[in-house]
Amino acid sequence: MRSPETAASRRLQVWPLLAKELREIFNGRAFWTMLILLCPLVGYSFFPATTLYGDASAAARDSPAMASGLSPLDGVLVPTFGAFYVAVTLLFPFVAIRVLGREKETGALRLLVQLPYRTVTLIGAKMAAVAIALLIALIPALAALALWEMLGGHLAAPETINLIGGHLLYGLLVGAIALFSATISDSAATAAIIALAFTVSSWVLDFALAGQPGTLGMIARLSLTQTLRTFEQGLLSVGLLVGIAAAILSFSALAAIWLHPGMPVRSKLKRSFACAVAFAAVLAIATQLRASADLAEDARNSFPLADQRELATFNEPLVITVHLAPEDPRYADLRRNVLAKLERVMPRVTIRLASSGQTIVGSSTEESYGEVEYSYGGRSAKSRSTSHREVLPILYQLAGWPIPAPVVGAEYTGYPLVADARVTLPWLFAVLPLSILLSWWWVSRSPRIPMSLAQDGGST
Amino acid sequence: MTVLTTPRAENISGHTPILMRVDGLSKRYGDQQALADVSFDVRRNEIVGLIGPNGAGKTTLLEAIAGLIPVDSGAVLWRHNALPFGRRRDSIFFLPDGLRPWQEQHVLHVLEFFAAVYHRPSLVLGNTIKLLGLSPVLRQRVAALSKGFCRRVMLALALLTPHPLLLMDEPFDGFDLRQTREMMDVLREAAAGGRTLVLAIHQLIDAERMCDRFVLLAGGRVRGTGTLDELRKRSGQIGAGLEDVFLALT
Repeated sequence: MRSPETAASRRLQVWPLLAKELREIFNGRAFWTMLILLCPLVGYSFFPATTLYGDASAAARDSPAMASGLSPLDGVLVPTFGAFYVAVTLLFPFVAIRVLGREKETGALRLLVQLPYRTVTLIGAKMAAVAIALLIALIPALAALALWEMLGGHLAAPETINLIGGHLLYGLLVGAIALFSATISDSAATAAIIALAFTVSSWVLDFALAGQPGTLGMIARLSLTQTLRTFEQGLLSVGLLVGIAAAILSFSALAAIWLHPGMPVRSKLKRSFACAVAFAAVLAIATQLRASADLAEDARNSFPLADQRELATFNEPLVITVHLAPEDPRYADLRRNVLAKLERVMPRVTIRLASSGQTIVGSSTEESYGEVEYSYGGRSAKSRSTSHREVLPILYQLAGWPIPAPVVGAEYTGYPLVADARVTLPWLFAVLPLSILLSWWWVSRSPRIPMSLAQDGGST
Repeated sequence: MTVLTTPRAENISGHTPILMRVDGLSKRYGDQQALADVSFDVRRNEIVGLIGPNGAGKTTLLEAIAGLIPVDSGAVLWRHNALPFGRRRDSIFFLPDGLRPWQEQHVLHVLEFFAAVYHRPSLVLGNTIKLLGLSPVLRQRVAALSKGFCRRVMLALALLTPHPLLLMDEPFDGFDLRQTREMMDVLREAAAGGRTLVLAIHQLIDAERMCDRFVLLAGGRVRGTGTLDELRKRSGQIGAGLEDVFLALT
């Protein structure tokens, strides 16, 4: 039934497809414009961050306590990659949309879907090209990190790689959303509006609803921006990784489902529903995954080393009942300083909010408001503290264990650096943009014609 | 290049095996019936002209056959077996009208892409470029091509595919008289090489010169099928051209 030739062509190579997608990105203006804009954006973030870090370092010169608060992750890396985040949120959707939007506008999609590739392969190649573009877009931020090292700054590999990985995952998620938007839109402009509606509204959600109680808080946690927070704190969370990977795969799958113009809409809707159900199931599983690694060099997501070792051996369940409203800043402190760390280190921790409907206004006059009850091994104790220095002794007392002696030399001493960052300005504002312009010219030049293809007698 | 100006109908007899059968295709866009129970056969190695005025449903029919739009009812059979939507691209390649794909890419890269996807050796690619006279524009971007050269590139892409059946929508649109004749010869060579062609053509003179058999389409319905002689007999227009036959039957 099939011709032998077309059957043979099923032994496909994906490389020609990927090369075509890469040419589609690199021959367009959107990618290079984003790359050139990234240089001053990164420079504008890196220079003041480094200067402020230097000022703080100068003040901490004679104070080890102040110096221990100087972490390059907070002081330089996060602000520098903040510029990358802005570019990925606002500019990268246009690059990702291009790999499909133009094909829809020019009718090339009708040729593409006739090629002997499955739609999943077509979208996979587009996502791979988007990922490569994203990696190249990292160059200005990576250049800033290189300049930081040249200034004498310190970079800890685990937290740096974790942060870069987080931004790459966020970028891939934005790329997958943009690709899906392009699939369901008739024009690139409409696709851009849909993709930006996702990214910008998620930004607004983060600003407006973060810290709100109940449903509003749950909606705020769906913000794409939230995915970066954990990485910026030097934490690698398996649940978050699974959730983001599931979101990227789901949007890519939806793009594959809606790509082929010949498939009836009813079939597309059925498959989309199945995809959404699968995504929801994976997301539900991901929220239950508590495995994580504290990759921050200052171990800010963990208790001191001696406590970590001791608490890891607590085998009985610890039940914590919190009499605080979720929007109360004290609850945020308790969550960050104690609860999240306990969840990471102890195998069996249950945290209960005394009343899920509790609010600061309605409950702050109650006598028990502000109390946190710790129950372990059939004994319980109450505290109003949000600091681990006061909470951990309570836990040791409940367990009947002595307070462990601190491990000498395990404290984070900080990396103060007073450096003149002005020398980096020419690199980020002139040399790098010019190098990118040169690369654009080099990539865009006409190809050489092989001799075997150069002769014919055709006329126009 | 051999110039053929007469149809090859005498070579395609009723005994030539049927390659594809379109069986009762119907498609509705809202209140408008774009295709109504369209049925016809295509025999191996023949050149079939899909003839009809603007809005007759030619493009919709070709897209439906190629599986690029969903249909309300009907089927496409390939050598008497059902050819489901997902497997049309194994046997059929459709070249739409008015395409200017991958505009920012250079012509050479676009051609090389198709050649690589279908495992065409560089000799075949070189011959196709030569056949369509594309050497002068290989280093140009698709966006910079004239309409005629863009059409040639599209024809080259279709010829680089290995599919036994090619559907083409207005393949001569954008060519002047001399170029149209050149391209007719190219397509005849493809047919002589074992391809079967279904061409939607609104220029009836071109269609009469090019095609072995015709499917007359108007208002989404088939008004007649057959060779020019068969259509003449049906319409009672003995010795008339395709234009008169078409007007008589639609």
